[in-house]
Amino acid sequence: MIYLDSAATAPLLPCVKNAVSEILEKLARAEVGNASSLYSSGVYAKELIETAREKVARFLDASPSEIIFTSGGSESNNTVLKTFENKSVAVSAIEHPSVLRPAEAYAKNLTLLPVDKTGRLDLNFLENFLEKTPAFPNLISVMLANNELGVLEPITEVKKKLQRVLKLRKNPREKCPKFHSDLTQAVGKLPLSVKQLDLDYASFSAHKIGGPLGVGVLYIKSGSPYKPLLLGGEQENSRRAGTYNLPGIVGLGVACDYCFENRTWEIYEKKVKPLRDSLAKSLLEKIPTARLNTDLENSVPNILNLSFPAAEGESIQLYLDLNGVQVSTGSACASGSLEPSHVLMAIHHDPESAHNSIRFSLSLETSPADLEKVIATLPKIVYNLQQISTIKLKEPKKCLTKK
Amino acid sequence: MSNEKIKPFAYTEIVKDHFLNPRNFLMGDEKNFTYDAKGTVGNPVCGDQMNMYLKISSRKNPETNESETYIKDIKWKTYGCASAIASTSALSELAKGKTLEEAEKISAKEICDFLGGLPEHKFHCSVLGHEALKDAIKNHQEKGSPKTP
Repeated sequence: MIYLDSAATAPLLPCVKNAVSEILEKLARAEVGNASSLYSSGVYAKELIETAREKVARFLDASPSEIIFTSGGSESNNTVLKTFENKSVAVSAIEHPSVLRPAEAYAKNLTLLPVDKTGRLDLNFLENFLEKTPAFPNLISVMLANNELGVLEPITEVKKKLQRVLKLRKNPREKCPKFHSDLTQAVGKLPLSVKQLDLDYASFSAHKIGGPLGVGVLYIKSGSPYKPLLLGGEQENSRRAGTYNLPGIVGLGVACDYCFENRTWEIYEKKVKPLRDSLAKSLLEKIPTARLNTDLENSVPNILNLSFPAAEGESIQLYLDLNGVQVSTGSACASGSLEPSHVLMAIHHDPESAHNSIRFSLSLETSPADLEKVIATLPKIVYNLQQISTIKLKEPKKCLTKK
Repeated sequence: MSNEKIKPFAYTEIVKDHFLNPRNFLMGDEKNFTYDAKGTVGNPVCGDQMNMYLKISSRKNPETNESETYIKDIKWKTYGCASAIASTSALSELAKGKTLEEAEKISAKEICDFLGGLPEHKFHCSVLGHEALKDAIKNHQEKGSPKTP
């Protein structure tokens, strides 16, 4: 099986598997207990959690007290938006639904910041919006890397524009908006520092970097406002109620440490990016009708998104699966919601490109042979689907045989 | 069956078969098939579109000895997901050889049953081919009498 959907869930790291198994063994023997208990097995659990917190903090360049453990990126994102309930919020149009839906639900005023054809935030629109808006937003949320396209968002430029416009507006009562970034697709793939990015809030989940499922991180810069999403427990200094997910948290700590110690972002740049780029080149050569949706020069090194006109994504996905290759699609058919990908819609304004899109996401384990298999099977799959499709290709392919 | 197994493929074996080996589809340009009537349903914007192409002829009903028009041959094209492709393929098998009256009555449920069932959310969006078939029959009836065999 060739797994090319690491952006959905990365393969569990062997070191994480061992660490989690060890904790499960200890839990089975009641050597570790509930981290909120004061007897020795509880204290031991608490120690393990605090060690994990230090690892996560070191990885993000934060203080341990600024790290909250959650159930994943979605909970972290929801918590930030909940904190800004009844406030003015601006988010990019291509945020993950776990930012967009709570933003719609909680914000008093919500501005969707548009992106250009590559998915990069439209900085001119942003500047214009900031200059003209009657009241500055209280929160801006822009992801560092988009989950479908891999495109990198210009967070540093956004922050510079904010500072510039704030000075221009000369309103002493106006404060710089708090800034949140969903780092889920960027962690481990890029060198990261929440201090250098100057973030007030950041989210990510463990399973995208080879950690366990169901555990994630919310970074809250010391002194930033905070409203808990889950009430009813004193855990995390009353910032997040719920019994600690000990195996998950330990696994998350180990995964962060693995990235930090091995500088995985350098391996991604050196080893994975050339593979991803050559996959793009080969597929575009072999399938001339294909459309590149990922800006290869401004993206995380492991994501490639392509649209194949007249061939529907779920059909391509299932054909690939039956050929032993697993990928994901922005097609409405493959999603539970039956809506085409809002990300592809935001860049192309064309549902067909979204229905026809396929995302390949590589991991550190992806080999050239894996990609050879894709290059060998995909052109035929797309060709066959195009042949039975009701949609006529604008530039018909040359006949392979002439009568 | 004693215990339910997790299927590696999201659809039934029959769906998988019709998806991988679609019957009666029209390869390439629609000019590759001489047809008497064409019908369409759906829209690429929604992610699913089906065209049905019918070759219509008349025959003598052996029981009543009366002349009847029937679908002598059928071809289709589909843009859509696996379930859309499989359900159109299934419909083409169900409709072939039927009189126009019989073919018009083929329902989404009948196609779904033929395929051994479809996931609930797929049933409503991808089983549309019978509408294209009705559209083709309507277009044919508006056009006039069928060709003689």
